[in-house]
Amino acid sequence: MTTATSLAPVAERLTRSVVQVLSGAGGGAGLLWESGLVVTNAHVTQTREVGLVLPDGRRTRGVVTAYDGRRDLALIRAAVDLPLCATGDPRLRAGALVFAVGHPLGVTQAVCAGVFQALGKLPAGLRLPRLDPRLDWLQADLRLAPGNSGGPIADAEGRVIGISAMILGGLGLGVPSPEIEAFVKANR
Amino acid sequence: MSTLTAFSEQLANAVARASKATVSVHARPKLPSTGVHWKDGVVVTTEATVQRDNDITLTLPDGKRVAAALAGRDPGSDLAALRIDKGLLPVAERGDPAALRAGHLVLALARLGDGGPRAAFGAVSATGGRWRSWKGGELDLRLQSDLRLYPGFGGGPLVDADGLVLGVNSGGLSGPLATTIPANTVDRIVERLLTRGSVARGWLGAAMQPVRGGVVLLSIEPDAPASLAGLLIGDVVIGIDGRPVESLEPLLAFLAGDVVGKNVSLDVLRGGQPTKVDVLIGERPRRTR
Repeated sequence: MTTATSLAPVAERLTRSVVQVLSGAGGGAGLLWESGLVVTNAHVTQTREVGLVLPDGRRTRGVVTAYDGRRDLALIRAAVDLPLCATGDPRLRAGALVFAVGHPLGVTQAVCAGVFQALGKLPAGLRLPRLDPRLDWLQADLRLAPGNSGGPIADAEGRVIGISAMILGGLGLGVPSPEIEAFVKANR
Repeated sequence: MSTLTAFSEQLANAVARASKATVSVHARPKLPSTGVHWKDGVVVTTEATVQRDNDITLTLPDGKRVAAALAGRDPGSDLAALRIDKGLLPVAERGDPAALRAGHLVLALARLGDGGPRAAFGAVSATGGRWRSWKGGELDLRLQSDLRLYPGFGGGPLVDADGLVLGVNSGGLSGPLATTIPANTVDRIVERLLTRGSVARGWLGAAMQPVRGGVVLLSIEPDAPASLAGLLIGDVVIGIDGRPVESLEPLLAFLAGDVVGKNVSLDVLRGGQPTKVDVLIGERPRRTR
């Protein structure tokens, strides 16, 4: 396999764990974190009950059982029989290859590739007034768009290191995987 | 290790190598910009991000904050040179921007304050020969890429997949594509900034517009080279120093050269009659901040 073709199988494997979340007028992406539990962004879930579209097009429903608006995480309980993905350490080196899976502007299961920039607080001067400046973010050179929210960001091995949450100054921001793990553990 | 992981490691190694000479430049409010340790004791950044002449500091890769003195600025090429103590950090290792072709993979680096290096990844989109920026500076190579220059990336290095520095990225010169000031242009401008503090550009002191076969003078500033030489509104310049002037471009290219203080002969059509006018080329007044 050449470098040029090596991302496709890794990305394809990850898309099998990614669902579409439909909630009210909005929606986004979600990732099966452990059996029966889908994680997404809090801002994706506008209703307590949400619709889910599986990678093969099947539709089902789920219930939001935990919600953290500050950290922008929500947990959806749903009976979905998708493969579980591996998680990884988000402390990568700047320039390391990362990719995201989501549904930007309605294009389903879309892959976008880029590189890791930083893990931690946003630099002074890039902060938003409504964001808690103490939050740590996975910061990546990834061209995210509305619809990527809640979808995974993974390293070159396909291990999930966070989920996409927002775009700031063009920069892709994600919630780091250890915080998702802690959130799921506390609310499962 | 998988092919993709090996590639990922190569990119991260390239960033780590070039980041040793990449600093954060604190010369504007809020977000810092980035600079490259171009030669020992000299850091280069983009002119537009140096918004003050004093109280400039740098954050080095080891997190140390040091004072820097502005050696000079050139808005035309969007470059500024800063002096620091010698021996504080390694000098950028250089690649050859002339060897780049569209499709080559490149990285842009930044350092925003005391954090680690940041990177953006993409491909060279277009290369070409000598060109003039909209700000009037002459660049030796056209070097554009699809990299996204995030806030604070201005002044940072463009590097190849081995981490060698190809030039300095400029937000101000970028449009839909990111524009890099090639390393050979940086060398040329920095030498002038270190010796003179600015890059002198020739100046006539007249507003001009292209017409068929030349450029017509629309207005002439008092006490400027054009008025002192006796040029008149309505004169059509058709040649300078023996070279034809069929549009604005050759005239601007001439003025961008090393011509300040030189006496040159203009071929002019005045009332339809050819005549010659000698002009002492002046220096374009410097912008004051």
